[in-house]
Amino acid sequence: MVKELKYAYYPGCVSQHMTKEANDTTRKVASILGIGLHDMPKASCCGAGLLTDYDYPLYLAINARIFAEAESMGMDILTICSTCLMVMSTANRDLLADPKLLAETNEVLAKAGLRYNGTIKIKQLLWVLASDYGLDNLKKKVVKPLSWLKAAPFYGCHSLRPSDALGFDDPDKPRSLDALIEALGAESVDFRGKARCCGFQVDIVAEQTALNMTGRRLLEGKEQGANCFVTPCPFCHVNLDNYQGLAEKAVGEKIQMPIFHLSQLVGLSLGMSPAELGLGRHLVSPEKILEGC
Amino acid sequence: MKIEFRIKRYNPDDGGSPEPYLQAYMVDVTEGMTVLEALLKISEEQDPTLAFRKSCRSAICGSCAMTVNGTARLTCNLQVLPEVEKMGSMTIEPLHNHRPVKDLVVDMTPFWNKIEKISPYLMPSSTSGSNAVTAEAEELIDQSQRCVMCGVCNAECSSLEIDERYAAPAALAKAWRFVGDVRDGSVVKRLERLSEEHGMWDCVRCVRCTQYCPKGVSPLKQIERLRSEAMKAGILDNHGAKHVEAMAGSVEKFGRLDEAAMTFKTLGFLKSLGKIPLGIRMELHGKMPHPYIVAQIEAIEEVREIYKEAGKKAGLKEKKKE
Amino acid sequence: MLLVFHDCIVIGAGLAGMRAAIEAARSGLDVAVVTKIYPVRSHSVAAQGGINAALGKTDSWEAHMFDTVKGSDYLGDQDAIEVMCRQAPSDILELEKMGAVFSRSAEGMIAQRPFGGAGYPRTCYLADRTGHGMLHVMYEQLLKHGIFIYDEWHVLKLVVEDGEVRGVVALELDTGKLHRLHSKAVIVATGGYGRVYRTTTNALSSTGDGMGLALDAGLPLMDMEFVQFHPTVLPRTGILMTEGARGEGGFLLNSKGERFMEKYAPSVKELASRDVVSRAEQTEIEEGRGVDGCVLLDLRHLGAEKIKSRLSQIRGLAMDFAGVDPVVSPVPVKPGAHYSMGGIAVDKDGQTALPGLFAAGESACVSVHGANRLGGNSLLETIVFGRRAGASVARYCEATEAKPFPDSALKDACHSVAMVLKRSGGESIYAIRKEMNDAMEDFCGIFRNSVRLKKGYEKIRELRERYKKAALTDKSECFNNELLGYFELGQMLDISECILLGAMNREESRGSHSRTDFPKRDDEKWLRHTLVYKENGEFRLDYRNVSITKFKPQERKY
Repeated sequence: MVKELKYAYYPGCVSQHMTKEANDTTRKVASILGIGLHDMPKASCCGAGLLTDYDYPLYLAINARIFAEAESMGMDILTICSTCLMVMSTANRDLLADPKLLAETNEVLAKAGLRYNGTIKIKQLLWVLASDYGLDNLKKKVVKPLSWLKAAPFYGCHSLRPSDALGFDDPDKPRSLDALIEALGAESVDFRGKARCCGFQVDIVAEQTALNMTGRRLLEGKEQGANCFVTPCPFCHVNLDNYQGLAEKAVGEKIQMPIFHLSQLVGLSLGMSPAELGLGRHLVSPEKILEGC
Repeated sequence: MKIEFRIKRYNPDDGGSPEPYLQAYMVDVTEGMTVLEALLKISEEQDPTLAFRKSCRSAICGSCAMTVNGTARLTCNLQVLPEVEKMGSMTIEPLHNHRPVKDLVVDMTPFWNKIEKISPYLMPSSTSGSNAVTAEAEELIDQSQRCVMCGVCNAECSSLEIDERYAAPAALAKAWRFVGDVRDGSVVKRLERLSEEHGMWDCVRCVRCTQYCPKGVSPLKQIERLRSEAMKAGILDNHGAKHVEAMAGSVEKFGRLDEAAMTFKTLGFLKSLGKIPLGIRMELHGKMPHPYIVAQIEAIEEVREIYKEAGKKAGLKEKKKE
Repeated sequence: MLLVFHDCIVIGAGLAGMRAAIEAARSGLDVAVVTKIYPVRSHSVAAQGGINAALGKTDSWEAHMFDTVKGSDYLGDQDAIEVMCRQAPSDILELEKMGAVFSRSAEGMIAQRPFGGAGYPRTCYLADRTGHGMLHVMYEQLLKHGIFIYDEWHVLKLVVEDGEVRGVVALELDTGKLHRLHSKAVIVATGGYGRVYRTTTNALSSTGDGMGLALDAGLPLMDMEFVQFHPTVLPRTGILMTEGARGEGGFLLNSKGERFMEKYAPSVKELASRDVVSRAEQTEIEEGRGVDGCVLLDLRHLGAEKIKSRLSQIRGLAMDFAGVDPVVSPVPVKPGAHYSMGGIAVDKDGQTALPGLFAAGESACVSVHGANRLGGNSLLETIVFGRRAGASVARYCEATEAKPFPDSALKDACHSVAMVLKRSGGESIYAIRKEMNDAMEDFCGIFRNSVRLKKGYEKIRELRERYKKAALTDKSECFNNELLGYFELGQMLDISECILLGAMNREESRGSHSRTDFPKRDDEKWLRHTLVYKENGEFRLDYRNVSITKFKPQERKY
């Protein structure tokens, strides 16, 4: 093992409830790999983009409060949610680019007795595995190569864009998730929709738009021969899995595509059982494709 | 250096019901040559039948947007060699989300209609018209003023791909150009119209518009600004605004997102009932969120303090504006 | 094949055309614009530096007028220049009322930057995207006034009957169909012809169409030998680096690192008028003090902050098209064809010699620019004289009854299109166009003499013959770019011949027209405007006096 990896762990709201399995699995995987995850008991919701719509200065201050907690822990933030990643990184980008904005935000924070100095980076589990931990190291830990899986890497939106705030992978030609899938011994299936939107943000506001979008993404992967999807984002998971039945109706086709959280795919290759991975919580059962294992 | 250009061809004048196809051309590309220059070279030296739009060739007229290697780009400021080096190939197609007319030319009529629909001109009232445009006021609309109407954002828009009635990023960024202008006298009316169905709340925040805009307009940023202004103007009777209010309330109360309460607050009682069949399935898998039993984060009082302070500041700003 | 009536048809939807259309519509006329590219694509969009108006407390329209007259090398008509300079401030305010936002000074006033040839900082701007900002505002107003837009329609013919304009025949590019647009009045506002040259700042669509239409309608083009070469243009692509770069304090350096303008214009250096700076650069380059055929535009001392805020567009252009970041390195630049001082001869109200036909903007020649235009005056011309043309069309239409559209007009146009499409086995239009570009650049550039000009003239005559036999590969009706290119080339060959004829005959050096064999200005013989007519396919020269009111010609020094 190289240097000790430790992070202020920010699972995000969705993975503390609806997609709890992602959070649970991440903790187990991290412990197997020796990655230190340290809870942030004070951390609030990042606003998921909606707080940005509500009031931009408030959005900055709420996020700066999260960063301040990580700063006090002396660690960068690791999240398993792409939307949290994008929302926090964008706030951080804006705060670091404009000293006046940072000062104004700190004025607000001061009322709560806090201060953010601008020293934090926000990372996603995908990046930590692909870069900080390293795929070569990960490969060494794989006990069960996933050779029977043809996995469609669903980057979605917020792990890639806006690249001036994220900048880990190239949004025009993302490779990190593909490479990770391959490191686990599975086949990565290239498809048009890999860096496109699942529709999550308008699930409630414009349901038919969201469901059609979800359906289209699933079909795009299926047409290229994928037998499962992998996503680094719990919001994408909600749409692709929970709402897959409704999406099937919207696009008028049966799809039946199992969807893995990134952490689950890693866990599977590390030898964790379906029960440990919480796969029973999925609405589209991955049972069938796990039969071969 | 010889580079293969694969170009989507389509001509409605070809007999029968012609289908688009890819045609390959070999082009001798020199250092610094742009995609548009290469297309001009093809049409002048190899195939004058190739149709595409072009004019200023300096990234300001907005004519030459096309899909290059899968994403919409201005072809005039995109150099061939670095693009080929990065993407491994050079495939040029017409803009997505628009009907092809011939080869790389698409029908822009729906694009212009969307722009026209937002009343894209200053509507000063007898009082607002004389408001001074300070440097600060200019800054507020600076990004939206950079738009060249090339159509890249709409071509990349995820919502427009599904719903052709969606207002889409170009027109929304243009709308902010006027909503954000201190001299405009129809701000509330504009925001009310933008809050209707297929309007600004249908943006899925996929960030494609902002990522690919060649002029730094950041359409998503302008959509966020429109939404904030609409809520501040009290235009709250729509799913989008209710959703945001519910979220803001949830964070203030628990420090967390309360998914179930948000659905309920956004859609109201009757529409939420429609979610019951899915809800039962989700419950069986342990996925059904239960409203109002979300655990509070530690030090929630800090969050509330921040809300209070930010609210005060926003109030002050509003007052200053009046 | 539509036949539609509007009171007024405007050809071209750049700043002048749209400003004219709006003014005519405000008077209650039914107005339509016909444009071969969508309005916001028009080349006004690329104007970078700014627009002049004497707004400053210590500035005056008289000072603006003097600078303009001097800049024109005394060939500008002073009555017209007076109109422009007096009306500039109110037209700027009108633009702001329409919605334009000019960059602000710290005090919240409209900021003004210094420009070449001006004795006062009087150029208003929107960063380095002034034309873009103005054009989009004008488009907004076009929509607000409900003006009908025939976009991607190319006008093939001005229809004239009994000595009056009756409308136009236009080709709808989408479908290849020809349509009749019937009207009482037509305004030509099609911009410049930069594309006759090889190195030009102009758009691919700047092909001088309206000037060609006017020639064919029997009208004279005025002062065509005066072609402005902009001093700071990127090599190969011809992309413009705004004069604002020098206005903000940029230097021009030769290969020895010298600010060579100190030698050519000791008092104002880089901010001499464009003809002076371009000649200086060309001299440096020809005498071996260039850098790969260029000189260097050095902005580094302005600092990253100023470059990024005031000159952000040209920074992007330099990086994308020359691979140079002006914050860290000087940008190689050279002179390139930029603007046509000449054009369709009109009076102060945009009226041509043909009843019902008006013209404004770069396609017209009022003349306010004479032998050399000052930076910041072209945008001003478009809005002042665009507005005036629109107003005079309104007066004309009120006093005029619509007369029938002649049947023969459409038939003739259909015939000529069919003939072109039918012809086969001929030469490519692109080969002819390339030879035209080379001839104009090599024989009719910054420095001219009788030998070069004659060579150019003979070449263009030869190309005009070859053009008659050129054939197209694309025979389709839908979006036939080659067919459009064919018509554009025909106009450009006519225009080239006009430029050469005017230049060969004018045996003096004045403003942008610089004859090495006649290096002095000769007011006695040549203080007059050149007129070129096309009659039965041949060109004829005539001359007209210059209006001199306030400022007697004197030697021009910067």
